[in-house]
Amino acid sequence: MTGNMDEMDLNERVSLIESMIAEGRRTTESWGWMFVLWGVAYYVAIAWSLWGHGAAAWPVTMIAASVLTGILAGRKTRSRPATTVGRAIGSVWMGVGISMFVVFMALGISGRLTDTGLYVAVAAAMLGTANLASSMILRWKVQLGCAVVWLATAVAACFVSGAQAMIVFVIAIFLCQIVFGFYGTAREAGQRKMRGAAHA
Amino acid sequence: MPELPELNPVIHGKLRLALLSLLSGVEEAEFTWLRARTGSTDGNLGAQLLKLEEAGYVAVEKRFVQRKPQTLYRMTEAGRVALTEYVQALKQLLGAAIESA
Repeated sequence: MTGNMDEMDLNERVSLIESMIAEGRRTTESWGWMFVLWGVAYYVAIAWSLWGHGAAAWPVTMIAASVLTGILAGRKTRSRPATTVGRAIGSVWMGVGISMFVVFMALGISGRLTDTGLYVAVAAAMLGTANLASSMILRWKVQLGCAVVWLATAVAACFVSGAQAMIVFVIAIFLCQIVFGFYGTAREAGQRKMRGAAHA
Repeated sequence: MPELPELNPVIHGKLRLALLSLLSGVEEAEFTWLRARTGSTDGNLGAQLLKLEEAGYVAVEKRFVQRKPQTLYRMTEAGRVALTEYVQALKQLLGAAIESA
């Protein structure tokens, strides 16, 4: 069967294999909206707790954000292929999210969640860890920048007053959740557009 | 002169080759995703996937997600070996073609 195959046909098959493997590996995850959603959730929880309902604000907002994320993610990823990279990144965020929830819930119930600086330092360090791991998996410098911002926030929170730590936290949320989330969404839209043009 | 390798006829079909290559880059993929990536029709895609399944190169799983049926395909170890051998055979043939030119 190989006798009548010419070089062009063989090259065509090599190109087909390369392009299909690249197509399969190309990231199809749509996650920018998730950063924005969680950024808004943090702002809602902060505003709510400042209003004077500290005990309920964070757990209720975080549970609501988790449920919303689950529903929206289920809809968005229904027809997308499962990739090892996607599972690795999902695991990192899921692990950090569950750890944060458990630790802060325990601190809240025990009544030890009174030091704002310490709370911001721990939360920022955990978010920095997730961003750092994710940026290493994806080899993505922009997300590495977010990790640096979160870790700098964690360090700063150890040395400033509680009110100042909260201001630094709010700024970090804006940069690493809202701005980064919108940047991710715009990037995904650009990739989809380019892919559409390439197939036209 | 060394004997030239034969290309695996199951993989050699363009759509089947495209499908195996696509599946080699993901853990599992849904029928609709494969259809969108290959631009194939439902009937042709189903027939080619069945041939790959019969050869033991892909495994199929049917399930319901949010009450909607979902058919998932993933490459088996035999499929991965077959694709690797096919690529190696292609390389040998290309090398021979370049040498003879």
